[in-house]
Amino acid sequence: MMTRMEGTNESLLSAAVQDWMQHLAPQGIFLTDKSFNVVAWNGWLEERSGRRAKDVLGRNLFELYPDLIERGLDNNYREAMEGQVRILSQRLHGYLLPMPSPEFKEYAEMQQSVRISPLSRGGQVNGTLTIIDDVTERVLRETQLQLQLEVRSKLLASEKAARREAEEANRLKDEFLATVSHELRTPLTAIIGWTTLLRTGELDQEKTNRAIETIYRNAHSQVQLISDLLDVSRVISNKLSLTFSTVDVALAIEAALDGVRLEAESKKIQLKSRYDPGFPLITGDAERLQQIIWNLLSNAIKFTPKGGTVDVDLKRVDSFAEITVADSGIGIEPEFLPFVFDRFRQANSATTRHHRGLGLGLSIVRELTELHDGTVSASSEGKGKGATFIVRLPISGVAESLGSGTAAKAGAVLENLARVVSPHVLRGVKVLIVDDEEDTREFVRTVLEKSGANALTSYSASDAFGIFEKHRPDLVVTDIGLPDEDGYSLIQRIRALPRHKGGETPAAALTAYARDEDRTRILRSGFQAYILKPVDPGDLVVTIAGIVKKV
Amino acid sequence: MVLTEQQNDSISELINIAFARTGGALSDLTGQRVLLSPPNVSMHKTTELAAALAQFIPGEVASIHQVFAGPVAGDALLLLNYAGAMELTNLLVEEQTHTGYLDESSREVLTEVGNILLNACLGMFGNLLHVHVSFSVPRLHLESLDHLISELITDEHRYALVVATAFELRDSRVSGFLVMALSVASLDRLLQEVDGWEGRQI
Repeated sequence: MMTRMEGTNESLLSAAVQDWMQHLAPQGIFLTDKSFNVVAWNGWLEERSGRRAKDVLGRNLFELYPDLIERGLDNNYREAMEGQVRILSQRLHGYLLPMPSPEFKEYAEMQQSVRISPLSRGGQVNGTLTIIDDVTERVLRETQLQLQLEVRSKLLASEKAARREAEEANRLKDEFLATVSHELRTPLTAIIGWTTLLRTGELDQEKTNRAIETIYRNAHSQVQLISDLLDVSRVISNKLSLTFSTVDVALAIEAALDGVRLEAESKKIQLKSRYDPGFPLITGDAERLQQIIWNLLSNAIKFTPKGGTVDVDLKRVDSFAEITVADSGIGIEPEFLPFVFDRFRQANSATTRHHRGLGLGLSIVRELTELHDGTVSASSEGKGKGATFIVRLPISGVAESLGSGTAAKAGAVLENLARVVSPHVLRGVKVLIVDDEEDTREFVRTVLEKSGANALTSYSASDAFGIFEKHRPDLVVTDIGLPDEDGYSLIQRIRALPRHKGGETPAAALTAYARDEDRTRILRSGFQAYILKPVDPGDLVVTIAGIVKKV
Repeated sequence: MVLTEQQNDSISELINIAFARTGGALSDLTGQRVLLSPPNVSMHKTTELAAALAQFIPGEVASIHQVFAGPVAGDALLLLNYAGAMELTNLLVEEQTHTGYLDESSREVLTEVGNILLNACLGMFGNLLHVHVSFSVPRLHLESLDHLISELITDEHRYALVVATAFELRDSRVSGFLVMALSVASLDRLLQEVDGWEGRQI
């Protein structure tokens, strides 16, 4: 009932309300009698429902819109006849009367919010009033806002996660740097200490030998640390490149065993190996495969107490080569097992400190194994019960079809070894050695002369070029980082000479530039070999002999 | 005024019937099984209502408010805390909203649900009293509990019947309160009828 001023002409008011309802109301309004026959249908509805008032008036609502019954909405009208007001929300019903929504393609029907009220007079309900609001635009706006907020909250969550991860990575790297610095200092202490004693010249022969042995061992352990670091940095920057060829896994294991034998003997650890006979070749990077096995072996030896055992097993399981390295060492605690291959993530730094090393070996093993499309797993019965590492590498069809090349490969290795032991492998070869560091220059000269070479030395590129033109050596071994003019410039000048003046003389670069891109640049600029400092005398001779022989 | 144990039992039983109807209506509406947990009925002076509810509904409340008139008259409300109101809407419409607030469409859903519940309960009393109860259009309000109750306290409304319950659906529970503020006369009339109904049941 409308509140109105006393004395207001009722018919005037009624006419005004009807006029408003018919022409001005921004909503759909219709009335029914108590039998639900439509008795009023406003202009808004005529316009949007596609039904004219004259076609609707007097007709039953549920005959006009049978789907009201199908959707169970007719109950609302019955309840309104009992005096109840009903609210039909858009979210639960969508709409009451199907009407097109041409402005908003997202919805086939206009989205509606509806109120159904009883029409009462004198305490009697004698009809219903329905008011329909078009809420399509509002719903779309709400949905868009929802989406935006959803995206924002997801972004926020991922930002938070990324920040946490970055902080954690940073913390691990800090810890790692502290470890690196400690590990690099440890061998240096021994080197500097013993060198100082040697310089006094007061050591007897036995002490001198021990000093040299200790310096040599510590220097080597530092080389290993640095090469591990470089490998990790290559892995991180995705620059670790592999040179694939067919590889004899048994030979790789043998070579790795050779590398750790001394260490095992010093701890009285028994090394045992067992191979399936006639094991096929696999496709891989021979050097890296050896590194995988060497890392696992040296890890096993490191964590196995004196008198223990380390077993290496190679067998074929389906189309995989399975390399098992099992030790009788201190074992791995179950809670650390999932992290053993994680980079920078040492569970128990106290243990590592006790055993030395950066703890990078296993993470390198995993990366290298995965680069071979293989897998590596670790297991341990627990603390004090040893650990087992299993590397599985696919045996490729192509490699297998080449057959077992064990014998031939073994021959090649033996040949190499023979060359190293032979003092005459470079007999009569005239070598020009260029390095601005006298120590290195003298070391290389000594090694090559011991193998029978005639050595000429120079400290700079321009001086070396003069010697080259004058003495026409058979081979040049040069450092890359030289004062004024570098090794690249020297090789350019040599390669610019005609053949009869030595333009094709083989050359090897001996350098501490260890990145893959350095190696590539060196080999592309005219050198036949790339030798990384520090170099083992045997490797140096083998490499030099190799390029001399080729020419 | 304190309800006798018998009156309390009778009102609980009557409300429970209304709850069953509400649960049925909401289940039909949403296609989910919706239950209202058995009512826990108590009577309070309206002046003590804030203290009685504060421990259950701290902070802002969402209320669906309906005025009813007739031989028994008063104000009926469904109260939910804000988080509960959002959760109930999400559960009913099977959507997870991320707005962190009740948008207009969500408020409409709550109004519809509150309306169904309030009408079922008041309708039940109307039937019991054999009187016609007429209802106003339901309104949803978001405000502090104190403000809401201060509006309810009038000279006429001296007592409030409070019914604690919970909507149970999709393995979740959302607690709420049904509050009916009545005049002394309306309350007397209601309790008389309740006593009579109880007598007829035996």
